[in-house]
Amino acid sequence: MVELVPTLLRQELARLAETNERLDGRSQWEGRAITLETDCLYNAEGSAKVTIGGTVVYAGVKFELRTPWPDRPTQGSLMCGAELRPVAGRKYEPGPPSPQSIELGRVVDRGIRESGCIDMDQLCIVPGEKVWGVMIDIHVLSDQGNIFDACGLAAIAALRTAVVPAERFDVGEDHKLSVNGTPIMASFTRVGGRYVLDASEEEELGGDERIHITLGDEGHLHSLQKGLKGVFTPAEFAEIFDVAQSRCVELRKLVAEQEAN
Amino acid sequence: MGGYGDVQLLRDDGKRLDGRALDELRPVTVEAGVLPAADGSARVTHGLNVAVVAVYGPMEAHPRKIQRQDRAVIDVRYNMAPFSTSDRIRPGFNRRSREISKVTADALESVVLVERFPRSKIRVEIEILAAEAGTRCVGITAAAVALADAGIPMRDLIVGVASGKIEDTVVLDLDKAEDNYGQADLPVGILPNTGEIAFLQMDGDLSPEEFDLAMEYNFKAAGEIHQIMVEALQRRYEGGEA
Amino acid sequence: MSQGQDGAEQRLVTPGMAVGPSTGKRAGSGVIAQNDAFIATRLGWLQELNNTVSVNPINATYMPRSGDLVVGVVAEVRNNLWFLNINGAFQGLLPMSLAPWKVEFGAARMHMDVGDVVLARVQEVDECHNVVLTMKGVGLRKLNQGAVLNVPVQHVERLRGPNNERLQQLRDMSDCRIMVGENGRVWVDGDNNAIAWSRNAIQRVASEGHKTNFDALMAELNTMNKGDA
Repeated sequence: MVELVPTLLRQELARLAETNERLDGRSQWEGRAITLETDCLYNAEGSAKVTIGGTVVYAGVKFELRTPWPDRPTQGSLMCGAELRPVAGRKYEPGPPSPQSIELGRVVDRGIRESGCIDMDQLCIVPGEKVWGVMIDIHVLSDQGNIFDACGLAAIAALRTAVVPAERFDVGEDHKLSVNGTPIMASFTRVGGRYVLDASEEEELGGDERIHITLGDEGHLHSLQKGLKGVFTPAEFAEIFDVAQSRCVELRKLVAEQEAN
Repeated sequence: MGGYGDVQLLRDDGKRLDGRALDELRPVTVEAGVLPAADGSARVTHGLNVAVVAVYGPMEAHPRKIQRQDRAVIDVRYNMAPFSTSDRIRPGFNRRSREISKVTADALESVVLVERFPRSKIRVEIEILAAEAGTRCVGITAAAVALADAGIPMRDLIVGVASGKIEDTVVLDLDKAEDNYGQADLPVGILPNTGEIAFLQMDGDLSPEEFDLAMEYNFKAAGEIHQIMVEALQRRYEGGEA
Repeated sequence: MSQGQDGAEQRLVTPGMAVGPSTGKRAGSGVIAQNDAFIATRLGWLQELNNTVSVNPINATYMPRSGDLVVGVVAEVRNNLWFLNINGAFQGLLPMSLAPWKVEFGAARMHMDVGDVVLARVQEVDECHNVVLTMKGVGLRKLNQGAVLNVPVQHVERLRGPNNERLQQLRDMSDCRIMVGENGRVWVDGDNNAIAWSRNAIQRVASEGHKTNFDALMAELNTMNKGDA
């Protein structure tokens, strides 16, 4: 469903941008309150619930045994998918996966995969015959803006708590999945002409294009995505890239604190 | 119902494997207003089951062909998350979830005052996040709380609950093992105020006497769950949030 | 049982709950009679006024009634009419004949396009919930500036207060023009700081107005920085 954008909302966002203010009183690079809960779903081998403001997202990890691809006989596989079902908001409709949900899943997938935090060789049981397939499913339950960051955080937090269910598949003892690193996504939306961090629902409604940056533990880029209609300059990117660095350090700390508890 | 007989489900002391009495529920928790994007929402845990429900509407019924001139339609989607079961479920609708969605909608249309909203639809999105037997009942209970939370007028707060039979014994609220190896399952949706039944399914094998006992258990348990539902709604709003 | 009088402690009821005997009393909204008892049909606060028992709902959808002032957003434009989103289940129809301008057939879009915000009144509602809107009337117009805030429909009354007293007080304190639509949309116009102040004040009155002493709340809001510093 195409959402109705009131002209006055765009006008107000533009006016606020002139003095670098935001609708909810936040500063340009300030995020909303975040909660992270892990290991919260029975039956998932790893799970996490993330809330950012009024956005609510769950992620669950499942394992399956499969035969490896012929050209990579010692490597398991990783797949991350997101579902944007009608539960998430008035604007979402039933039907086959929408382009938006596929984009969301693939952006999160690339950030985790390309960070190299999962050693695919570690997922091999019998070379050429049996490897683990790891599947992260993300479920958006309430969209009040910035579902990308919520999904990215939920996915990596769930993965980091995952236990490989070897006993159930009769291939050894259950053990923790080894995950080397915590790739984190930071998303920016153009609102009233300039970028802001962690856009709210209203800012997304009256805003323009968005940029998603996933950074690894060393601050390296692992996935980038520009979505929606709009253009940006290299100087603008340089600015949000700096912000992304500190945002990712902050969220990574949150994941570590949750694990320490 | 799965295979009978081979698996022991009752202990020598007459209790069930998890220590429950024959007519004892698994622990139930209810929370209202958990999804800020929805008009009404609820989260119910029942044993290890977790169901979250969002309600949207009433809104204009689309597509036009589902519109009823004299009342609202209730558009229910019951969905199991891919990670909700021990083997991953491929996303998307299947025959089982379609059937459950339909009979749940039939049940909810029997309690919501649908004639107040001609040409409208009310969307009820039931998401099962963790499944441990009895998810359709947990979904109905959560849907009732979410509908109330959304301010939708209803005759009653419908409660989903099930009894069944294991080792030739009638028990309340089958857990996963009992569901897998039991002999019968009788899920119902009860209106606690009037004592009417708006949802009924059954499979397996029950004698008329066993059916009566199973229903007796169901009614007793519905009263207990209803109390928890009412408390959840009061807890949300009596703090003065409204 | 319920007190229902002003200031008395109210009782929260849930659908299906028996809320007392029906003898000698009338069932208001949110209540049905069943045998000799009243049954609540909605989640809300039980109320008894003039021998009528009703439920003051905690959440509600906007149900248009003729005469309502509403803030609408143009959702669709045809040759000779507009469809407006008025925050209800159905869109409202604004025919060319009820617009404040002389519009030639096919020129509707030149006056108002999708996304434009208007102050309109509900002309009529039929039993099938078809809503006809009008912009003929004092103050009804297209809103070219300012901001639209959303408040829960059931709190609109609280925001206005008896005889619009609270609303007038808010207007005086905020240095803003404020129009409250029955449909839960509030239009506010002023400078950035004044709008920001009003946004906060209106949200607080809507969400806390029933438990906080209103005068105390207004006094507190009045001390809040409106950005002059």
